[in-house]
Amino acid sequence: MLDVGRHPNIRLLAYSELEKIEGEAGNFKATVRRKARYVEEDKCTGCGACKEKCPTVVPDSFNEGLGTRKAIYSYFAQGIPSTHTIDPDHCRQLNGKKCGVCAKTCQAKAINFEQKDRIVEIQVGSIIVAAGYDVFDPKSIPEYRYGEIPNVVTAIEFERLLSASGPTSGHLDRPSDRALEAELEEVEKKVERSRKALDKYEEKYGEKSIDFITKFRAGQYGDDSDKAKWAEKYEEFLPLEKSYEDLKQKVSGITVAKRLAFVQCVGSRDFRFYPFCSGYCCMHSIKEAIIAHEHERETASTIFGMDIRAVGKGFEEYKIRGGNHSNITYVRGRVAEITEGPGRNPVVTYEDTKERKVKSQEFDMVILATACAPTRGIAELAKTLGVELDKYNFIKTSPLSPVDTTVPGIFVCGCAQAPMDVPESVAQASSAAARAAEIAFQSDLEKERAVAC
Amino acid sequence: MSKDVLVIGGGIAGIQASLDLADMGIKVHLVERLPSIGGKMAQLDKTFPTNDCAI
Ligand SMILES: Cc1cc2nc3c(=O)[nH]c(=O)nc-3n(C[C@H](O)[C@H](O)[C@H](O)COP(=O)(O)OP(=O)(O)OC[C@H]3O[C@@H](n4cnc5c(N)ncnc54)[C@H](O)[C@@H]3O)c2cc1C
Ligand code: SF4
Ligand code: SF4
Repeated sequence: MLDVGRHPNIRLLAYSELEKIEGEAGNFKATVRRKARYVEEDKCTGCGACKEKCPTVVPDSFNEGLGTRKAIYSYFAQGIPSTHTIDPDHCRQLNGKKCGVCAKTCQAKAINFEQKDRIVEIQVGSIIVAAGYDVFDPKSIPEYRYGEIPNVVTAIEFERLLSASGPTSGHLDRPSDRALEAELEEVEKKVERSRKALDKYEEKYGEKSIDFITKFRAGQYGDDSDKAKWAEKYEEFLPLEKSYEDLKQKVSGITVAKRLAFVQCVGSRDFRFYPFCSGYCCMHSIKEAIIAHEHERETASTIFGMDIRAVGKGFEEYKIRGGNHSNITYVRGRVAEITEGPGRNPVVTYEDTKERKVKSQEFDMVILATACAPTRGIAELAKTLGVELDKYNFIKTSPLSPVDTTVPGIFVCGCAQAPMDVPESVAQASSAAARAAEIAFQSDLEKERAVAC
Repeated sequence: MSKDVLVIGGGIAGIQASLDLADMGIKVHLVERLPSIGGKMAQLDKTFPTNDCAI
């Protein structure tokens, strides 16, 4: 990735979108919109001082909403370019409120609230579409209750939970437990505030609230309004303190998730959604189970699937190794339903097709292996380019020219063409690059010919 | 005629295509809609089948 930022032959236009294409192979004119970052790219050093001070906290999409970032942010820590960006939907200053804290902090004077989108025109001979995919939204399958049961997560969310640079620093903290911890923090703040208010009265009257309240309740203070206020504050404090103690008790019992269920083919091989196999999900479930076991040796994983498709060099061995060394059990059966049991534990109901029985099993966490869906915006992009899509909305190609779109000079690679894993995406990318290079070198030849004439 | 290439999308596929072309001496314009390149692979902890770090 770093090489892309440094390569003299690569002009990186991040935070940009294609608006228009004119012309034909060898001679395209592309119009690209460079969206305003409100930060000058040539001044920002990526130091991050601004985001430390920014008061606006928003969910972090890089971490699939499991963590937070500021209104001024870098997409992720090692992101290229490292230029920071102001999120215009959340920034206070850009929404008519007073702030500008980042501008005051930035030593490089890189913040520019007046920055506008810029339109650039580029002359190219060929185009490669590498727009990738999106993760299927499992909310479309109500019986899995994603979004309702907090400890049912998608595989990409689970990647972020496993990551040392992710929102849990690689600990398998369950979403329900993290919510409990956040609640405890909130209540703790409220208790502190409430305690402070009581302290004032205690100091003023030289009496503990607990002693005061007994006398107050017995009517010793008549209708002294200050005392009545004190009593009111104390009555508010009591339930707060109780819920704080209860929460503390609950939080002290929290451990990391150790019993994991992986549900395969969520949206894939399902005629209600995508009839195709997404190809990589069996493998990423095995991978995630192996890594979870590396983090915590007591972790046991069950992978529920119609079959485990480990197609690729070394993949079957990987699957067997996972079973033998990483506490993975493979169950042949499709999951019918996920419900919530005691302790916020998801319960998986499935048909064990080997034993021909319907069974239920409780887990700490369930991970959904979601289908590879066409990326959002692909229809507009295809329209702009004039290329055709297939019936699922991936870019249409033919089997014997798998990187050629329906428009000469426009090529495709990676998951924009079809679901595929990283090694396949890379192979297809090199193939598309070679096809684009043909056109580039033809242009050289023509120039030479023109000179020779 | 132009020799340059426009690559749309800066995930692993777009990155690889850009680097291949750039190494051949061809000028590449890489357009990515998010603030940084990397795509889904940047979000992965490690990748099968080698379990190497994704970034
Ligand atoms: C949970 C999970 C785990 C996985 N684990 C592995 C693994 O361990 N090993 C493995 O080999 N594979 C794994 N995969 C598969 C892997 O993610 C894909 O093979 C790979 O990311 C495909 O790369 P890509 O470049 O085609 O697409 P993407 O990574 O999706 O990149 C596309 C890029 O294009 C950008 N883009 C989209 N539309 C536009 C537009 N209109 N204009 C400009 N830019 C645009 C996007 O923002 C993105 O940056 C996993 C997948 C998932 C879901
Ligand atoms: S905007 Fe300024 S403070 Fe923020 S990262 Fe860039 S240089 Fe640093
Ligand atoms: S102006 Fe304020 S809210 Fe907006 S990015 Fe800067 S510090 Fe954050």
